[in-house]
Amino acid sequence: MATTAAAQGSVDATAVAKTSERQPLRPGRVGIYIVLILYSVFSLGPFLYAVIASFETYGQVLTTPPTFIPNPFTIGNYHEIFTNPDFYFLNYIANSMIYALGAAFFNVILGAMAGYAFGRMEFPFKNVLFALTLAVMMIPSYLIMVPKFLVADDLGLVNSLAALVVPAMVSPTSVFLMTQFLKTLPRELEESAVIDGASRLRIFWQIILPLIRPAMTAVGLFAFQGAWNDFLWPLLVMSSQNKYTLTVGLTFFKGLHYTQYNLLLAGATLNILPLVILFFIFQRYFIRGVSTAGLAGR
Amino acid sequence: MQRSMRLPFGRAASLAGKRSRKRWTASKVREALSAYGFLAPYLIILGIFTVIATAYAFYLSFFYVDFGFTQPIFYGFTNYQHIWYDLTHNGTFLTGILNVARYTLVTVVLQTSLALALALLINQNVRGRSFFRTAFYLPALTSSVAISLIFIWLFNKEGAFNYILSLIGIQGTDWLGNPSTALWAIASLNIWTTAPTFMLVYLAALQDIPDTLIEAARMDGATGREILFHIILPLLRPTTFVVVALGTIGGFQLFDQVFVMEGASGGPLNSTLTPVLQIVNTAFKDSLMGMACAEAVVLFIVIFTFTILQKRLIDTNIEY
Repeated sequence: MATTAAAQGSVDATAVAKTSERQPLRPGRVGIYIVLILYSVFSLGPFLYAVIASFETYGQVLTTPPTFIPNPFTIGNYHEIFTNPDFYFLNYIANSMIYALGAAFFNVILGAMAGYAFGRMEFPFKNVLFALTLAVMMIPSYLIMVPKFLVADDLGLVNSLAALVVPAMVSPTSVFLMTQFLKTLPRELEESAVIDGASRLRIFWQIILPLIRPAMTAVGLFAFQGAWNDFLWPLLVMSSQNKYTLTVGLTFFKGLHYTQYNLLLAGATLNILPLVILFFIFQRYFIRGVSTAGLAGR
Repeated sequence: MQRSMRLPFGRAASLAGKRSRKRWTASKVREALSAYGFLAPYLIILGIFTVIATAYAFYLSFFYVDFGFTQPIFYGFTNYQHIWYDLTHNGTFLTGILNVARYTLVTVVLQTSLALALALLINQNVRGRSFFRTAFYLPALTSSVAISLIFIWLFNKEGAFNYILSLIGIQGTDWLGNPSTALWAIASLNIWTTAPTFMLVYLAALQDIPDTLIEAARMDGATGREILFHIILPLLRPTTFVVVALGTIGGFQLFDQVFVMEGASGGPLNSTLTPVLQIVNTAFKDSLMGMACAEAVVLFIVIFTFTILQKRLIDTNIEY
């Protein structure tokens, strides 16, 4: 377990070392580049095409052969989804933001607190509780969906934003990632502070938190992404339309009789945009996080 | 002489250490209390929404629970008998299980191969490596709902997908409305979104393979193909197990995409009916919460069995 956390840092270092020793272009390597470029087009194409089409009129979105230049260029679709009173689009965005930012904030703080206890303190039942954390990561969401709904209902949370944020405040995955990171910090860090008689809370706040920024960033990003993209849980607990998140609200753009593809594409673009921006800023945290979590499974 | 002096001393020290570990000193009690203070929010949230909820799910599966109207009625194994009857008499739960089983088989094979192929390609010391990694990862980043909506448009009868097919002389169909293609259209988009995540896992595992091992094989005259099949792939087996197991677990839980693209009813001729869709319908449309829990338990057992089998088949120990 400790080795995975240590490997975390070295992955990018080896990557840099490998790219620097460049090889001359041979025919076989040209083939590799052709495949990679074709797959890039395959991977990015649908998004680019959808974003372009979100600036087209309803008629143009459905023309064959497909057009790649909006003519006329219009922001009418975006204007419509924000102003049409049937959609509550601003509510959807606000609800999704509250859910995602709330999940990110609480996972960072509560995950760091639990990780601090697991990673750097001794207490009875520590190993049992940590094993429980790992076991609980395997429990699938559909198994607990119904009782979780009944519990949320008993607590009077249903159809309120608290039903989204409260259960998502701290996940075992966040605690696991924080614990692994905190274990790698040198012991001496807090020893002198303990001798000086500083309280655990002060050590956590003044010494530990500033040192675990990379782990906090990764945990925050994953919690944000999970909540922002979540569909099933908000679909179950939110019953009035102004309480929907963006993912749930967007499904209503697919009409029963005919679908307004132009509006649907504008809505989908706005759903994708925040994550793409976050991804470009914090790329390495995303990539390292996925690799670590995946390899930890071995 | 020195050694014999040191030995008893060391033993005494370690005994003293053990004794002090067992004794409850004031500072240890304080540390334990503050540790639980730090853990409290996590343990409360986890306890209520996961641990109790899991136990509650198994418990409720033996009850008739009509949401909000009556007290739960003890039902014994009745819910499970209903599911057994459904499974043995070609019922809809069986249809759902068979749908996701076929879906999972195809997606796991294709997405695992694709993830491995992309990782091996990117790992060839290519220039622009981080650009490709980013470009490939984008489908995995975005929400299943947004991607489903975009693909409703692309897969539509007059959509871009059929236009591309028409260029190479193939007459397309209404991919999402046709019972023989709907599930596979959804499978194709999920392969596209899932493969990049597993590509990153494979890439990280490839970085862990020591270069010296490959170099040594090359010195011994092994060809690229031999190195791939006799060294790299066997070393990647533990990773392949993770990728296949996670893919299987995810595949059996198919929900978001079928719900968004085909609706709650299960698509044309129930061809996109899935167990999770049915659990949701049983619980929230038919208001049979206990039955829904029993269905969830059965699905859990099915997935668990597959994962154990895969562990046996793929994750065998390798001698270095």
